[in-house]
Amino acid sequence: MVIRVNYDADDNLSVVEASEICLKCGVCCVVKEHSCHAQLDSQFSPKCTYVYDCLGMDLPSENPNIWLCVSCHKCEEMCPYEVSPIRFIESMKAKAFEDGLAHPVIFGEVANIVSTGFAFPLTVSSSRQRQQLGLEPLNESAAEDLMKIAEKTGLSGKIDKYRGEEL
Amino acid sequence: MKYSFFKGCFLSVRLPHLERVSVNVLGELGVELKETRGFSCCPEPVGFLSTDKLTGMAIAARNISLAEEEGLDILTLCNGCTYSLRHVNHALKADEEAREKVNEVLSETDHQFRGTVDVKHFASVLMNDVGLDRVARKIEKPLKGLTVAGHTGCHIVSPPEIMAFDDPFDPQVLDKMVNVLGSEPADFDLKTLCCGWTLTNYGDKDGADKLLGAKLESMHRAGSDCVSVICPQCFYQFDMGQLLASRRLGLDFSVPVLFYLQLLGLAMGYSLEDIGLKRHRTKSSGFEEKILEALG
Ligand code: SF4
Ligand code: SF4
Repeated sequence: MVIRVNYDADDNLSVVEASEICLKCGVCCVVKEHSCHAQLDSQFSPKCTYVYDCLGMDLPSENPNIWLCVSCHKCEEMCPYEVSPIRFIESMKAKAFEDGLAHPVIFGEVANIVSTGFAFPLTVSSSRQRQQLGLEPLNESAAEDLMKIAEKTGLSGKIDKYRGEEL
Repeated sequence: MKYSFFKGCFLSVRLPHLERVSVNVLGELGVELKETRGFSCCPEPVGFLSTDKLTGMAIAARNISLAEEEGLDILTLCNGCTYSLRHVNHALKADEEAREKVNEVLSETDHQFRGTVDVKHFASVLMNDVGLDRVARKIEKPLKGLTVAGHTGCHIVSPPEIMAFDDPFDPQVLDKMVNVLGSEPADFDLKTLCCGWTLTNYGDKDGADKLLGAKLESMHRAGSDCVSVICPQCFYQFDMGQLLASRRLGLDFSVPVLFYLQLLGLAMGYSLEDIGLKRHRTKSSGFEEKILEALG
């Protein structure tokens, strides 16, 4: 398999260069105790590793597997050629999000953080547990600032667009 | 020792009993936790910080600025929160252009990032600020005879230049923290393998089960009575995740998980009830018997 990258997928030259110098040695994935955990997903093998899969697609940001990356940096530490697959995958995630292709769970989480300040919804059961344990109640007081931030950076627009497309 | 307390949303919403025991235990060690008003999600590194970097950095910078306004370093209870906040703190302290860009976004709020505080995981605070000597002096019931598999997790160690916690390929810090409890760290071969959080949430369940099964077997083979973690997501994987995976895989053993501060609480004389063990999903009678024996 030849590593192919859609060059206009990212304007960060160093990321593109990094993907070009991957020698397909597999070190970043196949050493079970030190390398990429996503390799354990049943679709990958030493012949077609998780990192080859991410780096080898024509349109990497359309590859749902990019969402398996946990940003642990192990590939970066393990790679003898300083390829840094994590940087490539993170930029693909950003592009996918921009294009409305984010994993639905990720999209829900991002939208939730902006509108409530929390990644996970506050539930009646968690409030009750906190009260039983004598802990301060949680509140959504950060949400107002977060919505202003998301408005300014354009994230709110992306969320609205994505929601519109979903309907 | 006073810190701005960044409890993190996963722990405070899903695992509040860990917040309770953490506050109690740290308090007894002289760590004062200030309830800073207005913190939001860190934001979470895998889905947010890596997908919309500018917004993610601005949210993290806003959180850091709240602690700056109080003149306090941040104490966290989660590897993910530590990763997001330390990465952004590091990037914005080092890069003036990025700082200006983020502060321009923050000008919509009443906050600005100045770069005046540090972000510390509670394990770093125990190691460097409290000191293991002081921790050792608080141990009333050494957990003798207990073998503990230390799972450090990924985000707290990488990259070491930013996280400054431990060697990603040969982590030793958690084992030292286990030793101080009077218990024995397990020597298991898949020590640095991830807990599998993203595979469970965004990947295929078979892969996640395979990963968890391999990791648990490696701990079990090494004679572990339990696994100790310093991250709530890892905790959830080893607790709820183990319950589900072991049913699917038909495992005939279990490795109960404890947040490190729960184990420390036990060694300081807390009961199983005090540390909230009844809220855990993965149980092991062998583990509970050993603990009751140690607590006398
Ligand atoms: S950073 Fe992503 S690609 Fe690299 S080893 Fe970790 S999960 Fe795998
Ligand atoms: S270790 Fe580096 S060169 Fe080898 S396959 Fe992974 S990214 Fe490519």
